Amino acid sequence: MLGYLITSGLALGALYALVAIGIVIVFKSTGAINLAQGELFMLGGFFAFMFHVQMGYPYIPSLLLAVVASFFIGALTYQFAFRPLMKAGLVSVLLASIAVSFLLKGVARNIWGGVGDYIPFPPMITASAINLNGFIVLPQQLVAFGASIALMLLIVAYFKFTRSGKWLQAIADNVKAATLVGIRVGALHRLAFALGAASAGAAAVLMAPLTLLYPDIGFNLFIKAFAAAVLGGLHSIAGAVIGGLIVGLVEALVAGYVGSKFQDVSAFVVIMLVLVFIPRGIMGGKAMRKV
Amino acid sequence: MKWLISNKGFLCILFAVFGVLPTFANSYLLYVSNLALLFIILAIGLNLLIGYAGQLAFANAAMFGIGAYAAALLQVRLGVPYWVALPAGGVIASLIGTLMAWPALRLSGIYLALATLAFAQFTLWLFMHWEDLTFGATGFAVPRLSFAPLPVTPEQGIYFLSWIITIGLTLFAWNLVRSRVGRAFVAMRDNEVAAASLGINLLRYKVFAFALSGFYAGIAGGLHCGLLNYVAPESFDLFQMVIHKSMVIVGGVGSVVGSVIGAALLVATLELLREFKSLQEIAFGAILLIFILFMPLGLVSFLKRVLPGWEEEVHLPDARTAPAVEAADELRPVGERSP
Repeated sequence: MLGYLITSGLALGALYALVAIGIVIVFKSTGAINLAQGELFMLGGFFAFMFHVQMGYPYIPSLLLAVVASFFIGALTYQFAFRPLMKAGLVSVLLASIAVSFLLKGVARNIWGGVGDYIPFPPMITASAINLNGFIVLPQQLVAFGASIALMLLIVAYFKFTRSGKWLQAIADNVKAATLVGIRVGALHRLAFALGAASAGAAAVLMAPLTLLYPDIGFNLFIKAFAAAVLGGLHSIAGAVIGGLIVGLVEALVAGYVGSKFQDVSAFVVIMLVLVFIPRGIMGGKAMRKV
Repeated sequence: MKWLISNKGFLCILFAVFGVLPTFANSYLLYVSNLALLFIILAIGLNLLIGYAGQLAFANAAMFGIGAYAAALLQVRLGVPYWVALPAGGVIASLIGTLMAWPALRLSGIYLALATLAFAQFTLWLFMHWEDLTFGATGFAVPRLSFAPLPVTPEQGIYFLSWIITIGLTLFAWNLVRSRVGRAFVAMRDNEVAAASLGINLLRYKVFAFALSGFYAGIAGGLHCGLLNYVAPESFDLFQMVIHKSMVIVGGVGSVVGSVIGAALLVATLELLREFKSLQEIAFGAILLIFILFMPLGLVSFLKRVLPGWEEEVHLPDARTAPAVEAADELRPVGERSP
């Protein structure tokens, strides 16, 4: 029992961590919280469904296409909804992102079904559960966990080794100095929103076979990912990963030992407690000061 | 004549129209107008909190729900009459709203928004899963109201009750924002430190703003339960919150008349799209986005330009000219904001 709860909690937590990384990338480079992150996740899942089930493309290419499509949707939402507001203040961006989230949700509901339509997604591998020393692992969970860890490493490598990754770090560190040395801040903001959307989309294509797809999935997922991000201090990718794993574990343990209906509460409680008592999160020991 | 096109005249005419409506309206129009009255209360209550006091809270739909659930459960579980349950629902929502002032003392801007958003989702979860108290996700029926000694049907009765309460609460808000309290709210919104240095007790006014907004939403909730004779959790979800926010922003942030206009217009929009949930979501997302992008001060700013008699005495927060320093300040960890 405990073994199963831990493995499934970690598998779920790794996916929350991927969405949380998207929130952190956007927050670090632009200072905004994108409430549409959950809907971008939902769209990523539906894109994968569209490419794989509706259009019949093979598995891996349709997943990649879904991530690329999420990337472009993220860039588009920035271009049309957030870019004009970046100077008007972050509260406007937050409100605009709620508006965008409902727009996307309505569009998805129009295309892929009404309230209560739950679409199953075919699993990647159909092998039966593996028993590792009493830890029962579903292969699908293993794939999701492994792929999300690989993606996280890829994201960290991107920030460390590529030029645009370093530029993103530069604007997160000091916008004025970055502008002075000729970094195009606007284009990088767009890139940050697109990357955030892509990581949400990647999480969605990995999670879709484990769960069902429906237009209202987004906000719940946003709340969980935000709990993970805020637990990690909103500023650090490592924090988001640890926060995601913690939220996933707590959720699985609560569902297993307290009752499955309490599963969703843990995220709300984490957000409220962390914001009020430790607003810098567990990784926020050294405060990142922005100018 | 000039008086007629002023904001005062506009309010009087609008409420007079609402007053004579039951004499000729059919039951559907009566229901929609009643809904509009409730949303006027909700929008004004939310505008007092976010437009005047500057507290970006996202829990108005939850307060609405708490008022509705409190009024309905008092009737169903304890047999309390509606006339007691309605104000009690307002008071209970107001008390829970007061609790929310506590995080608001430590958080501001987007952090407060997300903490209250989590609180609202938590409330919704309680409505759905605390079956022993709330009857769970399917909701429950509330006994029909009776206005026995008065010569009105229950539908007309709840309509006139809502009409009277809406006028009362609108007048209260109208006068409040022109009083010492309203000026303190605006001062707090524009700059907390400057307001505190002028002797404004931030704790007291924040608590009061949350309590007042909670009371408005709670009363609207009680009326909602009297109108539908039914309470269910999905009436108080995130979409409801977006509806309230859109009403405030479409009408005009920081304007009581604006909230009345926004509520009336958007209830009509909502009803026109009643059959299609996805279209409602698209429409409200688009309306909210268009107003934030192109008319952040709402319809009131437009009316103020074209109608000479229109006077808005309280300065509107100008989102366009918000100083860049403040935006950068938001980025710092909460403990380290510049004064």
